[in-house]
Amino acid sequence: MIEVKNLRKTFKLSKKQQKLEKTKTKLKVAVDDLSFSVNKGEIYGLLGPNGAGKTTTLRIMASLIKADSGDAFIDGISVKENPGQVRSKIGFLTSELKLDDFFTPNYLFDYFGRLHGVDEKTLAERKIKLFDQFGIEPFKEVKVADLSTGMKQKVSLVISIIHDPQVIIFDEPTNGLDILTAKTVTDFLLTLKKEEKTIILSTHIFELVEKLCDRVGIIIYGQMRLSESVEDLLKVDRLENVFFKLFEEGMTSHV
Amino acid sequence: MFKLKTLINKELKRFFTDRRMLSTLLLPGVFIYILYTVIGNVGASVGEVDDSYIYQVSVVNFPEELSFIHDQFESPLDVQFLTSENDDRIQDVEERTLDLYIVFEADFYANMVAYDIASGLPAPHVEIFYNSAAEESGAIYQYYTGMLNAFERQISNKFDINRSVEVSYNQATAADFSRQFVTGLVPFLLMIFLFSGSQAIAVESIAGEKERNTMGTLLATPTSRSQIALGKIIALSITALVSASSSFLGVMLSLPQLVGDDSFTLAIYGLETYLLLFVIIVTTVLIFVVLLSLISAYAKSIKEAATLAAPLMIVIYLVGVTSLFGTSQTNLWFYLIPIYNSVQSLTAVFDLSISIPQLTFTILSNLTLLGIGVYLLTLAFDSEKMMFNK
Repeated sequence: MIEVKNLRKTFKLSKKQQKLEKTKTKLKVAVDDLSFSVNKGEIYGLLGPNGAGKTTTLRIMASLIKADSGDAFIDGISVKENPGQVRSKIGFLTSELKLDDFFTPNYLFDYFGRLHGVDEKTLAERKIKLFDQFGIEPFKEVKVADLSTGMKQKVSLVISIIHDPQVIIFDEPTNGLDILTAKTVTDFLLTLKKEEKTIILSTHIFELVEKLCDRVGIIIYGQMRLSESVEDLLKVDRLENVFFKLFEEGMTSHV
Repeated sequence: MFKLKTLINKELKRFFTDRRMLSTLLLPGVFIYILYTVIGNVGASVGEVDDSYIYQVSVVNFPEELSFIHDQFESPLDVQFLTSENDDRIQDVEERTLDLYIVFEADFYANMVAYDIASGLPAPHVEIFYNSAAEESGAIYQYYTGMLNAFERQISNKFDINRSVEVSYNQATAADFSRQFVTGLVPFLLMIFLFSGSQAIAVESIAGEKERNTMGTLLATPTSRSQIALGKIIALSITALVSASSSFLGVMLSLPQLVGDDSFTLAIYGLETYLLLFVIIVTTVLIFVVLLSLISAYAKSIKEAATLAAPLMIVIYLVGVTSLFGTSQTNLWFYLIPIYNSVQSLTAVFDLSISIPQLTFTILSNLTLLGIGVYLLTLAFDSEKMMFNK
C-alpha cells in the first residue's frame, strides 16, 4: 500500500528561470500539500498537465528527491526515514532516467539485478521470463545505443521490475512510444494488476487512465484537485470533461 | 561488498572493453615514448655534419703561429689564404658556398704579443663571418672560436685548473647523473600524467553519467550512496593507474634516448624503489580521483566539469614544478600537505633519500583526505541539487 501525506516541495528559481517564467518570486511550489493513498492491487493514475507536479511527486516517492515537508509511506516504510529500504521495495520507471548506451540489455539486467540484491538463480529465471515476454531476447546482446526507442523503453521497464517489487511507480510509461510498444506496456500493467501489485502511474492520456486505472488523482499546479474511483467518475461524465473543468477552476484560483 | 564489486566491475568494463576508451588510456604512453625518442634523436643530430664534408674557409692575414688551429681540425679542410679583405666572401658565407670568412688585422700576432691591457687601447681584432643557419658553418665557427679562446687563455696563463686530461676530476658516477636527471624531471611528469589520466575518466564517469541521465537510474537502486561513491573511486583509480602506468613506462623507456648519453642508466633503481613509488602513486591517484569526482558531481556536464577542473590542474602543475629543484623537502610537517607531499615523496624516492616518517606522513595524510572525499561524494550523490539540477 502507498500513502502520501501532505507532501510539499519547492524549487529555488535561478534568475534565468525567473525571467523565463516571468515571475519575481524566488521559489516555485511544485507540490503543494499533496495527499492520496493507493491500495494493494490497485492501479492509481496521476493525471495532470505538464509541470503540474506529477514527476516531482513520483520522484519523492522513489526517494530520488526530498520533500520540504510531509512524507510518503510504501508498505508502511517512510521514504523520509528509510529511503534505501523504500528503493528496494519499489520499481521506478521514468523516461528521464536512461540506460548506459555502451552496455547490452543482457549485461544491464544482471548489473541492476545484483544491485537490487537478486540472487543469481532468480536473476537468470527472471531474465528468461521478462526478455521473452517483451521480445528483448533477440536484442539482448545489442548495445543500448543501437536499440530502437521502443526497445529501449522495454528494456528500461524490465530493468525497473527486475527485483519483482510489490509497488510499481511508472512516470508516463507510454510517452513517445509507438502504438505496438505502448500496447505491450499497458498489457503488462494489467498482468501486474492481476498479480496484486500496487501500481501508480502518471500520465496525461485520458484513455490510458480510463482503460487501466481503478482510481485517479488529478493534480493541477501541485495541488490534488480530485482523487476518486474512475468507475464512479465515468458514471457522471467523461474523464476529459472532468479534467478540463478542474483545470479551469485551478487556473482561476492560481491566478 | 558484492554490490561494491558489481559497481567496480561495471566501471572497469566500461573503460577496458571500449576500444576508443582503452586507446585513450594506453596511447599516451606510446605517444610519449615516440615523442621523447624523436626529440632525443633530433637533439643529438642537431649540429652534426657528415664526416666526409670538406669545410671551405677563407682567411685574411692569417698568422702562421696559429696554424695549429687548422692542423688539429679533424675533418677535411680547404683553406684559402688571402692578403686583403674581399667583401664578396661575406656574400659567399650568406649563400653557403663558403663556411667561414676570417679577417685578422694586419700583423695580428705581433700586435697581440705587444699588447698591454693597461694601455687602454683596443685589443687586436679578429672578425669571423659565419652562417648559423648552416650546420657546417655553425660547427666550424664553434671550433674556430673555441680554439682562439683557448689560445688567448693560454698566452695570459697565470694558473691552471684541472690540467690533466688523464684524471677524471668529476667524481659523479653514471648512476649519480642518471639519478639526478630522473629526480628532477620524472616526479613533475608523473604528476601531470596521473592528473590527466584521472581527469579524463572521472569526468566521463560522473559528469558524463549525469549528462546522459544514467546516474538517476543507478541512484534509484537500493545501493547505498557510500557504496556508489567508493565503487566509483576504486574503479576510477584502477583505470587512472593503468593510464598513468602507460605514460610512466613511456617516459622511463624513452629517457635514455631523450638524454642521449650512453652513461645514462635506470639500473640504479631496485624493486624496493618501484614498490615505494607504487604506494605513493596509488595514494596520489586516489586523491586526484576523489577531487575530480567531487568536481564532476558538482558540474552539470562533462564540459563544465573540465572547465571547473582547470584551476586544480594549474595548482597541481605548479606544485609539480617544485620537483624540478631536484631535492626533496626535509621538514616532516610539509609531508602532511596533500599533493605537495606526493611531489616531495616522489622526489625523495627517486633521489633514494625517502625516510619512513616522510612516507608515513604522506600516506596517512592522503588517506585522510580520501576518507573526507568519499564522505563528501556520498553527500553529493545524496544531494538532489547536485544530481538532478540541470
